[in-house]
Amino acid sequence: MRRTILSAVALACTAVLAGTAPAFADGPSPVPSKTPAQSAPSPVPSEAPSKAATPSPSKPGPADEAAATPAPAPADRQVSAVPEGAPDTGVAARPADGSDEGLIGAGAGAVLVAGGAVLLVVRRRRAATGA
Amino acid sequence: MTRPPGRALAAVALAVLLAGCGGGPGEQTAAKDRPATTAPSAPAAEPARPLERSVPVGLRIPAIGVDTPVLRLGLAADGTVEVPPVTDDDRAGWYRHSPTPGQVGPSVLLGHVTVGTHGDGVFRHLARLHRGDRIETRLENGTAAGFTVTAVRTVRKAEFPTDDVYGNVDRPELRLVTCGGPLTGGEYRDNVIVFARLATTGPAAS
Repeated sequence: MRRTILSAVALACTAVLAGTAPAFADGPSPVPSKTPAQSAPSPVPSEAPSKAATPSPSKPGPADEAAATPAPAPADRQVSAVPEGAPDTGVAARPADGSDEGLIGAGAGAVLVAGGAVLLVVRRRRAATGA
Repeated sequence: MTRPPGRALAAVALAVLLAGCGGGPGEQTAAKDRPATTAPSAPAAEPARPLERSVPVGLRIPAIGVDTPVLRLGLAADGTVEVPPVTDDDRAGWYRHSPTPGQVGPSVLLGHVTVGTHGDGVFRHLARLHRGDRIETRLENGTAAGFTVTAVRTVRKAEFPTDDVYGNVDRPELRLVTCGGPLTGGEYRDNVIVFARLATTGPAAS
């Protein structure tokens, strides 16, 4: 009875240690055995000791992540400001041409009307003089 | 005699559970870090070495008879890219928020296809370029960056491929952008985009 309980406790302890070991290895490298106490003080000295007591493997993780994430972020974009939409790189000649065409048409019409009026006047005068 | 093995089993189960909890976060952070570190590594076939930052001052495209000074363009108030002014002597412009030609990244140059009553724009015949054609940029520091056309695309303005034009690349590239396609309501329907990669570098021929 005692033997089995002792052996079970021993097994549990070794399993817990085996489980936490890789977490230390992934976490801060300097001092694996005292990581919770030593790695926590650098970012936040006052909070670290109290929080480091229980969740020792998880605490150093986020602290390291926070230190690691800002590094890749700034060198992200090669184009610092991406424009919206498509560039308008073509100014068609149509609107300007269109107004010119309108003017030309109106001018031609006026010339025709004037010509017709002159012709009419000339004919009437000829008819009046009997020439 | 039946109880102790049960307790032992429970202890083992607890131990396994604890072990699983302990190893979890470490693996997660490793998995999180992996994509960030592996993402930049891509094809390593680079014909010419990237250049230092130097603003482009000239652009030459022999295949379509372009030889133009280069202006600097920024962003317009509405967030779109500025374009060169509509004048008789039309010029190309470099988008100053993009890398300079020869730097790693997409260096973006823009030019008009037509400039209203002034006639043809500097990029009038950009759509005639083909894969393999040469583009030369002259830089302010006296260097020249030679590019080779890799693709010519005509896309609807409504579907402008922002990521393809302005997105990150792992080598020095060039983008030449103008308008194209049919005129609808006095406006061009499409954009013509030339994609090119750095091929040569050296002193500018002046």
